[in-house]
Amino acid sequence: MTRSPERAWWLALPTLLMLGTFVLFPLVSVVRYATWDWSGLSAPVPVGAGNFRRLFADAELGRSLRATLLFALLMLPAFLWLSRTIAVAIDGLRAERFIKALLFLPGLVTVGGSAIAWYSLYNPDYGLVRELTGLALPWSTEPWAGLLYIVLFTLWQSTGYGVLVVSAALKGIPSGVKEAARIDGASDAQVQRLIVTPLLRPTLLFLVVIGTVFAIQSYTAVFLLTKGAPFGSTRVVGYYLYETAFERLQLGYGAALTVLVLAATLLIAALQARILLARSRA
Amino acid sequence: MMAFNRLVTTLFCAFVLLPIVWLLYAAFLPPEAVLSASLVPTGFSLGNFADLAGTGVGRALLVSLVASGLTVFGQLVFGLLAAYAIRTGLPLLGLILLALALPSELLLIPLYRELQGFGLLDTLAALVVPFWGSPLVVFLLLQALRRLPWELVEAARLDGAGEATVVIRVLAPLLRPELLAAGVLAFAAHWNLVLYPRVVASALPTVQVFLSDLLRSKPLEWGLLGAAALVTTLPILILYVVFEKRIIRTFEASFQ
Repeated sequence: MTRSPERAWWLALPTLLMLGTFVLFPLVSVVRYATWDWSGLSAPVPVGAGNFRRLFADAELGRSLRATLLFALLMLPAFLWLSRTIAVAIDGLRAERFIKALLFLPGLVTVGGSAIAWYSLYNPDYGLVRELTGLALPWSTEPWAGLLYIVLFTLWQSTGYGVLVVSAALKGIPSGVKEAARIDGASDAQVQRLIVTPLLRPTLLFLVVIGTVFAIQSYTAVFLLTKGAPFGSTRVVGYYLYETAFERLQLGYGAALTVLVLAATLLIAALQARILLARSRA
Repeated sequence: MMAFNRLVTTLFCAFVLLPIVWLLYAAFLPPEAVLSASLVPTGFSLGNFADLAGTGVGRALLVSLVASGLTVFGQLVFGLLAAYAIRTGLPLLGLILLALALPSELLLIPLYRELQGFGLLDTLAALVVPFWGSPLVVFLLLQALRRLPWELVEAARLDGAGEATVVIRVLAPLLRPELLAAGVLAFAAHWNLVLYPRVVASALPTVQVFLSDLLRSKPLEWGLLGAAALVTTLPILILYVVFEKRIIRTFEASFQ
């Protein structure tokens, strides 16, 4: 008497119900809200495609997309490089576990607490660095510096995650392969370049996707540290979305922005799902 | 090359450690030492923590503990069931992975409207229920189920165990370490939400809402801010220190 495994499928119902109600339904209904003129408190007024037309004429959105792109271009290469460099450097060290635990810590320290630590250390007017050295860090006056500040904060928070992922992949490379190459006369640098790098490629690709998600989520750091200043240089699109909807109370236009950001995110998510599916079947 | 890598690692560790150490240090400075900017330790003081008493930190902690706790409990129960269903053949993984990449805060506007429709704005349910379908938890538990020898489940079935019994009596105890690790990660993720609780339940400030308000209203009081940051980080810090090995291993194993 063998039972067919299909019997257990109903056990996924609670999760499906939740994902349906709080992910899929909002995902679909936001398109409808995007056709409204709506402050969130008043009754919505349908305005057709007006909000979408406004997207194309919105100079602020253009600036904000540029800030997001710039942010990703600064953050992603640094994230990948640091994750790999550190994971290779600590592989097999006695302190490996300790260093990984330390680097993972900022991702868990409450983000509000992290913001407080960064604020009181690096604030240009009354931060500790200013008090100690007299150096006024240009975060709040120079647009490039403001963006760099958010990049550094995001790296501070998320690099531990990248190190863990690369480190796990390094452990998956059979040591025999590396030893064989050494016996054949390969130098350490050659082993890294010719064996480790190609084998790490899928992992690094995965990190690109993860890093992109971190970049999209950087609006929390922006909210806590710069609120889009100076001169809109840190107004990444996620923050612009929040600001439009819940500070300027234009939820209808915010919904149109959401549709735009979601389209981009879903594209990235589909890529991530494909990579992860391929790995979990391997 | 290796020396250079080590140098980068050392510098980055220092960069990561600095704000954390500074936070610990500032929290215990006497309040007046911070204002005069004399950083030579002038003494150890719990004054900042005493000053916290009147700020509403207690209520925020309570709200967050209850909300994050209930959230994680639901996520683990629903997540284990769903992971088991997928392990037995339900083709749901694609959807789960797609949802994994969608930060809930991107759906803030439609969620706000939906919760408004349900009459749930400014309730505990608004902070908890929408998170019960957790792609991350399902994913981590599924990876753990895949590492488990499946004969155990088959043997239990042969003994006449129903599916519910298999999950509750056989799998849940075996997966205790992974459930713990996934639980801590999910707890931290929920604990760290900032914009979401601000929008859907501003009447019930969570610790992050409380901290960001405090940072805005008292930007100069480092000691007080440091103490607040420390107190609100403590629950996660304790969980992390106790289960660190387990968390890192579960996390790494799911990416191997």
